[in-house]
Amino acid sequence: MLENYLPILIFLAVGVVIGGAALAAGMLIGSRRPNAAKDSPYECGFEAFEDARMKFDVRYYLVAILFIIFDLEIAFLFPWAVVLDEIGLAGFAAMGIFLLILVVGFIYEWKKGALEWE
Amino acid sequence: MILDIYLVLFWLFSAVAVFAALRVITVRNPVHAVLFLVLTFFTCAALWMLLEAEFLAIVLVLVYVGAVMVLFLFVVMMLDINVAPVREGFIQYLPLAATVAVIVVVEMALVVGSKTFRPNQMAAPAPAAAGASNTEELGVLLYTKYLYHFEIAAAILLVAIIAAIALTMRKRPQTKYQNPAQQVQVRKQDRLKIIKMEPEK
Repeated sequence: MLENYLPILIFLAVGVVIGGAALAAGMLIGSRRPNAAKDSPYECGFEAFEDARMKFDVRYYLVAILFIIFDLEIAFLFPWAVVLDEIGLAGFAAMGIFLLILVVGFIYEWKKGALEWE
Repeated sequence: MILDIYLVLFWLFSAVAVFAALRVITVRNPVHAVLFLVLTFFTCAALWMLLEAEFLAIVLVLVYVGAVMVLFLFVVMMLDINVAPVREGFIQYLPLAATVAVIVVVEMALVVGSKTFRPNQMAAPAPAAAGASNTEELGVLLYTKYLYHFEIAAAILLVAIIAAIALTMRKRPQTKYQNPAQQVQVRKQDRLKIIKMEPEK
């Protein structure tokens, strides 16, 4: 069975070799003369206003969490779709209940305004 | 000969996984730590693939690397920390951390060393046939035998949705925004008043 995945392994190996070779070639052949001006952050010609790390709004995080939850839900749909013929009506109904429970959550977040950006 | 290749691949991926996991807790830059965690998940997916758990391996890459790690990276890059100071609070957290570490090591030793789980107690399962689909077998089990557990997963996801909203939702009363439904429903009578009056001289 694992023989089917040989192309992926070859792909990984080629990717590692090419990526490593490019980095190594740059390190070995390229000239490295760093100085303070070269290493400083570059912001379109003027001095940087502030550090790139600053506090962000927590709502980005909320959107990301909600995305991950529905991403997980989709992961359950794949094996279900593959075996739909074998599991019959019971499996179909089970997925219906599963989706119904999550639609409750979806309606909740919609009505609560978690998807609004204001 | 085939078996040897699998063994070599197992050692290779395990070595990378252990190395990357160690780097996660030793590098000073948190962004690099998250990237090493991504590498750990990738090699773990490869190990699962060697165990012929193909669907789970793909899900590990899709869900953990694709979503959870992106979220981690997102949060770490947004945090106000640059490079972690050397051993800040190292002594302070040492007792708790050491206790947890000892408990984990003892638990692992108990499991690995117990009579039921010793490698010679369990014969290696026969490799799956060339056409066998791991996704299909998983699906049949999940949607017939483990139906109830599957529905519980839905309830847990629902709890996660509600908890995430309850923890991070903030109403901002000072922000002004439009309500399109109200805007559309406005009638002329609500806004406009026509007053009859005598023309002034």
